[in-house]
Amino acid sequence: MKTITKIISLSAMTLALASCADLGSNPTHSSERSRNLNNPNVTGSTYAQQVCSTCHGLNGQSINPTFPNLAHQTKEYIAVELHELKDETRLDPAAQQFMWGVARNLTDKQIDQLAEYFSKQPAPVNTAYADPKLVVEGKKIWQEGNLSGGVPPCSGCHGENAEGNANIPRLAGQHSDYIYKQLTVFNDDYELVNDHKDIQSNLEDPGVTENGEPWRAGNNGAVMELMSHGLSKEQRMAVANYLQTLR
Amino acid sequence: MKITSFLFKARGAFLALMGGVVLLSSLDANAIPVFARQTGFKCVACHVGGEYPQLTALGRYFKLTGYTQGDAKNIFGEMTTNLDRSPFSVWLQASKQWYANTQPNGINGTAPTSAFDAQTISLFTGGHLTDNLGAFIQWTAAKYDPLTTVSTGPSAPLNWTVSIDNSEVRLADHRVNSSGDWIYGAYLNNRITMSDVWNTQENWTSDWIGYFNTGFNGVAGLAPQTQLQGGLSQHNVVGLGTYLFKDKTWYGELGVYRKVSNGPLSVFTEGVDAASAPSYNNNLYTRFGYNKEWGPHEVFFGLHGLFGSGDPYGVNNLFSLANAQATWQDMGVDAQYQYILDPHYFAAHFRLTHENMQNSAPLVGGVVANNANTLNEYWADMTYIYKAKYGAMLFFHGARGTNDTTLYSSGVNGSPDWDSIMPSVFWAPYQNIRIGVMETFYTRLGGTTSNLITNANNLPGSLSPHSFNTTMLYGSVIY
Repeated sequence: MKTITKIISLSAMTLALASCADLGSNPTHSSERSRNLNNPNVTGSTYAQQVCSTCHGLNGQSINPTFPNLAHQTKEYIAVELHELKDETRLDPAAQQFMWGVARNLTDKQIDQLAEYFSKQPAPVNTAYADPKLVVEGKKIWQEGNLSGGVPPCSGCHGENAEGNANIPRLAGQHSDYIYKQLTVFNDDYELVNDHKDIQSNLEDPGVTENGEPWRAGNNGAVMELMSHGLSKEQRMAVANYLQTLR
Repeated sequence: MKITSFLFKARGAFLALMGGVVLLSSLDANAIPVFARQTGFKCVACHVGGEYPQLTALGRYFKLTGYTQGDAKNIFGEMTTNLDRSPFSVWLQASKQWYANTQPNGINGTAPTSAFDAQTISLFTGGHLTDNLGAFIQWTAAKYDPLTTVSTGPSAPLNWTVSIDNSEVRLADHRVNSSGDWIYGAYLNNRITMSDVWNTQENWTSDWIGYFNTGFNGVAGLAPQTQLQGGLSQHNVVGLGTYLFKDKTWYGELGVYRKVSNGPLSVFTEGVDAASAPSYNNNLYTRFGYNKEWGPHEVFFGLHGLFGSGDPYGVNNLFSLANAQATWQDMGVDAQYQYILDPHYFAAHFRLTHENMQNSAPLVGGVVANNANTLNEYWADMTYIYKAKYGAMLFFHGARGTNDTTLYSSGVNGSPDWDSIMPSVFWAPYQNIRIGVMETFYTRLGGTTSNLITNANNLPGSLSPHSFNTTMLYGSVIY
């Protein structure tokens, strides 16, 4: 009997707290330092400070290379990616683990403000160790491409100093671990798609397998899948090391 | 036990667990607990390698800012796209345990024989309440790791006990201005190390799996802990504290904990309190720390302390002994190291807590022999997880202290000294599910590594610390 009383009283308390959770806050108040990701009245710069900065740094320079630097990234590219993350069309594992949740309720205005905020931050100066030998090799690939793998010079699209251009991302000063991870994602996508070409041609949505599993890094990744596949693991690492040293 | 019999039983338990895995693998990939639903993060965002309870930098931030990040629910009918999410989570643990000494209800106290069993069910709720207020509420029904002070005599039945578990309400804010980055707040909770975000304190170390640890529960006093990491860490107190985390580097915290038997706050000890339970006067809890992150690395160095008094043996009510009080001063150091860069996740923790305890006259000669005792309790652990799927852990836990022939009557010459090693391996086929094997080896109990001379509890005299070892095959599902 005592146990039943306990169950009832704890259930009542838990339900009371759960119903409190439905109350929430008035969206017109206290939005200056809100971490409420479902409030259109919170500005992009508040989110940058209260939410994004935890992983990406207040100035867009992240500490852990799991997370990319966003400082001085092109405004257009940030906006495109946030829309893809919101729409869940960018499918790499890290996007699903972290960013789908953050972006799922952002408004167009908030996305624009966030893109503006991070694009205006000073360019990152990445002082992490880069292997000098790989830097030299990476520079060569960046400027001349890897013709035997069918890879044209990266600088052709991303810029001589990897400064980016509109929808094409800036990569200068990016963490080498992050670049390498993303190149691997592109390559894995390429291999998945090409290993299943016969199946893929019959699919309604070529970005998703028949089991609903994601195949591609995102709508904008198709070109990079080809580029990444044309590089060996070491070459990808070399390019990543080189980019980290750029200012 | 014959090895064939062991393997047969292990196979049966494994098949039962796999059945659960297959069933749950078909569920929605985003159908995960309350905080994950609120933030939209996968487990791996806030927990090292996706394995609770160890927190990443993001997980620490989420907790320190009052569990408020994510989608809020509101009463204005706006922005309700995610209101279909459940505000509850359920956590089920089941295991098959094997004891080195299988005397039923004897040496192992109320330990079960080695049956396969569901043993802990928890219900969670909480998260964002307002932009600055959030909660973490858990209550638990447990079978072998009772949070309540139930009788543990040889004939005591194995009752499920229902009680409040780790529960906390936090009020927090985060300001960034020209003078720096300030995260600060206050909490109300029911466990003295509940506020920890570095997983070095008792409440959040990784031996979270509820099972009947015969070293702790079988014979009282063979694995003693300090008041800070043991006594006041059992949901039998209510505490109010405040904290500050400056520039994500310097951390300071101050809290006051005491037993609350009546009034609205006693809901925080619901199901835990009992007439024979320990009682605590005002206890001051404090913590300072230094946190540093670079690249994929993070280190934390901390100091922790508890200064207070109370009736830790629960004798006041039991024997009507007025003024049976002890006072204690617990001080310690702790540290964490983390390396987080997919696919590798590594974490290590260490703590050492030194306790001085002074016993008042009614206690001396009754439940303790000495006017003053000391106890040095240590904990160390290492965790490696690959691809957030395959993991191995190693824990070390034990203590050294003053001999007390009354308090530690089961020990050799009243020695409280003990050491244990707990290796485990696990597999997380899916982020909600963990299946593992964990060993608990006692290498020293009652101050000895070999023949444990027992002169109490009518125990046979030929026991060694190994008699208290446990092997466990477990499965855990959280949804």
